[in-house]
Amino acid sequence: MFSVVHLPKKLNKSTLLNTIRLSSTVLQTQDTVPTLPDAENLQKNTLNHPDYFSVHNLFTVKDLFDARVHYGHRDGSLDERMLPYIYGSRLGHIIFDLDKTAEYLRRALNFAAHVAYRDGIILFFLRGAQNSHLVEKTAQECGEFAHTKFWRGGIFTNASKQFGAVTRLPDLCIFLNTLNNVLLQHTAVRDSAKMGIATIGIVDSNCNPNLITYPVPGNDDSPASIELYCKLFKMAILRGKEKRKIDLQL
Amino acid sequence: MLRRINGILEPSLKHIQFKNSQWICVSSTQFKAKSFSTSPPKPEVQVKKNVSKAMKAYLERAREHDEFMKQQTLEFQIGKRHLANMMGENPDTFTQEDVDHAIKYLFPSGLFEKKARPFMRPPEEVFPQRKAAEFDETGRPYHFLFYTGRPNFYKLMHDIVDHINDAYKFEDTMIRKGIKPDPNLALELSGYQWSDKASLEKELVEGIGDKDYEAFIATMERLCDLPYSYRSKDFIFKYRKPLMSHEQTYQAPRPQYDADGRAFITTYECLRKRARGHVTIRAPGTGKITINNEEITYFKDVQPREQMSKDAL
Repeated sequence: MFSVVHLPKKLNKSTLLNTIRLSSTVLQTQDTVPTLPDAENLQKNTLNHPDYFSVHNLFTVKDLFDARVHYGHRDGSLDERMLPYIYGSRLGHIIFDLDKTAEYLRRALNFAAHVAYRDGIILFFLRGAQNSHLVEKTAQECGEFAHTKFWRGGIFTNASKQFGAVTRLPDLCIFLNTLNNVLLQHTAVRDSAKMGIATIGIVDSNCNPNLITYPVPGNDDSPASIELYCKLFKMAILRGKEKRKIDLQL
Repeated sequence: MLRRINGILEPSLKHIQFKNSQWICVSSTQFKAKSFSTSPPKPEVQVKKNVSKAMKAYLERAREHDEFMKQQTLEFQIGKRHLANMMGENPDTFTQEDVDHAIKYLFPSGLFEKKARPFMRPPEEVFPQRKAAEFDETGRPYHFLFYTGRPNFYKLMHDIVDHINDAYKFEDTMIRKGIKPDPNLALELSGYQWSDKASLEKELVEGIGDKDYEAFIATMERLCDLPYSYRSKDFIFKYRKPLMSHEQTYQAPRPQYDADGRAFITTYECLRKRARGHVTIRAPGTGKITINNEEITYFKDVQPREQMSKDAL
């Protein structure tokens, strides 16, 4: 590990930030960029800012490790599209590269916070009885929405029929697992892609990350991992909403 | 093989920004907004409200419905006056009861099903109630399970699991303290049954499937089976209905006494097909049977004789 101070001056700021994010297991700190008072510039400013909601200090790689995020499925069930994210295999099980996971997770958290900042509707997904109550509770606590039950076809693609009226669809779908069972992908992944709805998905070693806008490689089965994801997304969303209140003086 | 995250970022951000093109000025009195009504708009901030397509469509439908109902009410009032005139009554004091009588008189119907008979009722009773808006003016739904399509049902399931988790947690603390559940406090569920599907649907204001109802019963049973389920008694008994009591107390008729002190009971209007008869039984008896002042030979066949003597016993 190297110290940031000794890096050559020619490196620009964003590379510097990225390096810190990728390499370190310590808490990430974020220097503040002066915000312009003008409303239009504010919007631009928030988007250009690399980490406006300082979501990078929400977790460390150690937290991920403690929550058993690095455990994948058995290596026989590996989806080849997950190859770039894995570290290797141990005792016949896939192990994820947590440095990469941390980077992807931070991008996803940042995006979620941005969507919450713009008053977007966020919908949490998870199939499986073990963790669904936790996910519903998380969604309720951060004032967002959850769908952990059987997916009736056409909720996105045929919304006006399904709900009996024109309905605003979610702006972001967060999949805490992307599979219905061990074989089938959740139909909402496909439907969100069809409707141009951004998605964040925790993809395990047997999942297909292709249709997910922000894939986060990691364990999607252990309650400890799901708890961690729920906590992180909740905090990111609440930070986005908090910032919204401050910036718009609501 | 790494995906170009930044390339994907752009279209998704466009998707978020689309709402900005729909900024519409709306006076703050027009809507009863939850979030905006509490704080008055600040003078330096321009009051702009983002009205979603969903809300606009809803308001349009609500307006159409109101107009329709106004028209129907007007027609009903005129029709009622016509009817009163036809029946030769004062139109101003003509009540709904009078309307029902008049319709029954003018359009007599032999149809068995009451709903199929002609009627004339106020439009509020005839046309279904309009569904209240389930989202605010930005199109954000109120219920956190809105997108499941059956928010009330799934909220109920969510609450059951909440109670189950509470019971587990409490059980753990009790085990740690070494206390066993009190058998006297155990939930007594006999004499009750789960609310049936129709009444559950009525309570939730949502249609539920057979499988959903089965899941509801299974989850509830699981909650009831827990040793500390009595702590959720109020919640459980909201969905238990008492069984009809089958034991209706039978009042034995009191015997009367004649001049000789013999007890007798007379039952009037005993029926057999179109025949009616009064039956008197005396105690202590003599074994004599009298039918219309004749003996048991009043019946020519053996079968009625046997039946009558069996019934008398």
